[in-house]
Amino acid sequence: MKKQNLFISVLFCLFLAVMPLLTLLLPHKSFSEQENRNLAAPPRLSEQSLRSGRFMEDAEDWVSDHMVLRDQWVRLKALAERLSGKRENNDVYFCAGDTLIKRVDEPDEAQIKKNVEAVRVFAEKAGVPVRFALIPTAASVWADRLPANAPTADETAWISRLSAQTDCGGPDVAGALQAHRDEELYYRTDHHWTSLGARYAADAILADCGLPLLREEELRPRVVSESFYGTVYSRAGAWWVKPDRITTLVPEDGIRVISNFTGTETAGSLYVPSRLEEKNKYAFFLGGNQPVCVVQSPAAGPKLLLIRDSYSDSLVPLLSLRFSEIHLLDLRYYRLSPTEYIEAHGLDEALVLYSLPTFLEDRNLILLKR
Amino acid sequence: MVFSTPLFLFFFLPVTLAIYYLVPVRWRNAVLLLASLFFYFWGERLYTVIMLLSTAVDYTHGMLVERFKRAGKLKKARLAVASSMIFNLSILFFFKYWDLLAGTLQGLGLRFVPVLGVHLPIGISFYTFQTMSYTVDVYRGDAKLQRNPISFGTFVTLFPQLIAGPIIKYKELGSQLDERSCTVDRFAAGVERFTVGLAKKLLLANNFGALWDFFKAAPTLSVGGAWLGVLAFSLQIYFDFSGYSDMAIGLGRMLGFEFPENFRYPYIARSVTEFWRRWHISLSTWFREYLYIPLGGNRCSRAKWVRNLFLVWAATGFWHGASWNYLLWGLYYFVWLLLEKLVLGKLLDRLPGFLRHCYVALILLFGWAIFALEDFSRLRAYLGAMFGLGGTALWSGVTGYELLNYLPMLLVGLLGATPLAAECFRRLPAGWQRLLRPALLLAGLLLCTAYLVAGTYNPFLYFRF
Repeated sequence: MKKQNLFISVLFCLFLAVMPLLTLLLPHKSFSEQENRNLAAPPRLSEQSLRSGRFMEDAEDWVSDHMVLRDQWVRLKALAERLSGKRENNDVYFCAGDTLIKRVDEPDEAQIKKNVEAVRVFAEKAGVPVRFALIPTAASVWADRLPANAPTADETAWISRLSAQTDCGGPDVAGALQAHRDEELYYRTDHHWTSLGARYAADAILADCGLPLLREEELRPRVVSESFYGTVYSRAGAWWVKPDRITTLVPEDGIRVISNFTGTETAGSLYVPSRLEEKNKYAFFLGGNQPVCVVQSPAAGPKLLLIRDSYSDSLVPLLSLRFSEIHLLDLRYYRLSPTEYIEAHGLDEALVLYSLPTFLEDRNLILLKR
Repeated sequence: MVFSTPLFLFFFLPVTLAIYYLVPVRWRNAVLLLASLFFYFWGERLYTVIMLLSTAVDYTHGMLVERFKRAGKLKKARLAVASSMIFNLSILFFFKYWDLLAGTLQGLGLRFVPVLGVHLPIGISFYTFQTMSYTVDVYRGDAKLQRNPISFGTFVTLFPQLIAGPIIKYKELGSQLDERSCTVDRFAAGVERFTVGLAKKLLLANNFGALWDFFKAAPTLSVGGAWLGVLAFSLQIYFDFSGYSDMAIGLGRMLGFEFPENFRYPYIARSVTEFWRRWHISLSTWFREYLYIPLGGNRCSRAKWVRNLFLVWAATGFWHGASWNYLLWGLYYFVWLLLEKLVLGKLLDRLPGFLRHCYVALILLFGWAIFALEDFSRLRAYLGAMFGLGGTALWSGVTGYELLNYLPMLLVGLLGATPLAAECFRRLPAGWQRLLRPALLLAGLLLCTAYLVAGTYNPFLYFRF
């Protein structure tokens, strides 16, 4: 017993010594690919930060963020949750067929009101036809894959209510996805839709704009990655799930992309293969977040303004088969008036297209009123 | 700082332990005092002054009491005790109850008492009770005067029990302050106990807390959901609170102290009276020794005895938080305890054990509903849902999902609230025990670390106490 007590004491002290030493001594990252966010900066000591308690908060954040083997600890917790019989971790449901689906929470009504109002104002002043559509998440379209009775917001109800409130009409993206819900419309490990999901949405948009639908022979599926682990995977820490496949449907022939990542125009492309080397491989489409992006194609068709979130990155290749120009504005980064942009570039139509959770929470739609 | 943060476990604790064991024995109290002040300052900053003030006041009052007693001036000694109590109860009242009182008065239309938005300093309910016990113990001759301000400061601020108990009476710790033995056996026992407490908090309590939060926030409840929710809260508060006490006792042992036990499997009680002998023992005995018995206890007329019981349970309830529902909760137990003492007791003795457990469980579940819902209109709605009033559905799909989702954890929790697992372990062959002890310990530490690092969900329940 005596010997064992010594062993236990030493074990504990070693654990308590090794963890902080490694945490302090090993090199620190400032960005977590796994979590797709900047990690906490070291706390700054000053009388002010001590008095306000800021120093203490920052120190606690720093320790949590830079704990040695952080990603592995997160995975161990996910595994423990699963082994304990849980059907979810960190708001992500473990679903049938190696699928991970993030729950959608009931939204904050005040922000929604503002966003609906912004879309209405934009529709009135834009000077071109404005369409509005919301994209449901996998939690709604793949509801049958969720654990039985798992709570999640009623997205279909929200989408029809919000579409009615904005009163500008638009494609029934939710219906188009619903009609194909047995197909691989979403990534199993990411919140985005796949090129196939985007394809059915594109058809709904084209039909609504009175343009010819996509024909099967125009599409040339090509697998570009078999090792994509998306954001929902990171959130759930569910490392036992097999990776996703990224497929493109449209070749890049004859298409010119003008990207604008940092305020200056650069030659971009529909697909950016270097992004496939990184963790967030979805950025392969158009190269990731940017305020403005213009896609010019040889197609004879109208010029479209797309007020969008990241779902549109993989939608644009499909739309480029029918629109001659697509101008994508991301209001998180583009702070000027969209109405003036339409006028300045002589655009013909506008489409406000968001995934439902983004639209429910986004605080930048107010810029539509400018 | 709280125990269940990476900062505490991997920085504060190893550094404190290292310094504590590296310095000469006579400096250890000073190291503990400084570490505890740092621990408190980290979270409460300037409010540390109030704790120091309470420490200084009772240190000097102890001196006064002793001097008056020596001089045979018992009346003056009693005055000094009263002065200490008035001081401690005043700061406790001001920081904890002022806003409640002012808010209630304003609600009644009396606007002359302003709501000040007073910050409740963490642990004030614990350390004021501890410092008061010192002066009383010295007066009663139950404890020796502590002349060393560092040792006394260490008693009040001792970080393992500073912010959530157990409430240690001075007489239980006084001699350990001057002399205690730090042995490997005690250290290992401390490690074991601390890890058990950490696991109770991180692996169980937080889980049940998430389940309770779901039902608490649910826009509509089913009857089953309401019961499941309050069951989850019952398990959360037990594992949260007893886990914290385990961590405190464990840390104490690592530092050579032996703290009193605070929980003895309260949920296996066969009567409400027994439950209160097993739940938060350090608080019940505090009120018993420093309020109930001085009032006359039960060695007086029946009317006075009922009054004493009433006062103790009103105080116990109110001690738990500055909100009227806690008072109601205390009085709820006053009624049950009185009933058990007057009529139910003999009846219970004749009931089979199973029915007695059902009886206790029902009373506790309702009690926790009163405890958990501070807002009376929400409490009424919740109790209504438990009884299926107002057209509440019996069951809902979501309740079924949550039940299945948490079922294994609920079973572990229900079993873990009984001595069964510990008993099974004791009955294992010695060889198995030798193998399992370090293995379980390591597994527990690793799992807790995983939950600590990954967990964003880590609220402590009893900070408002």
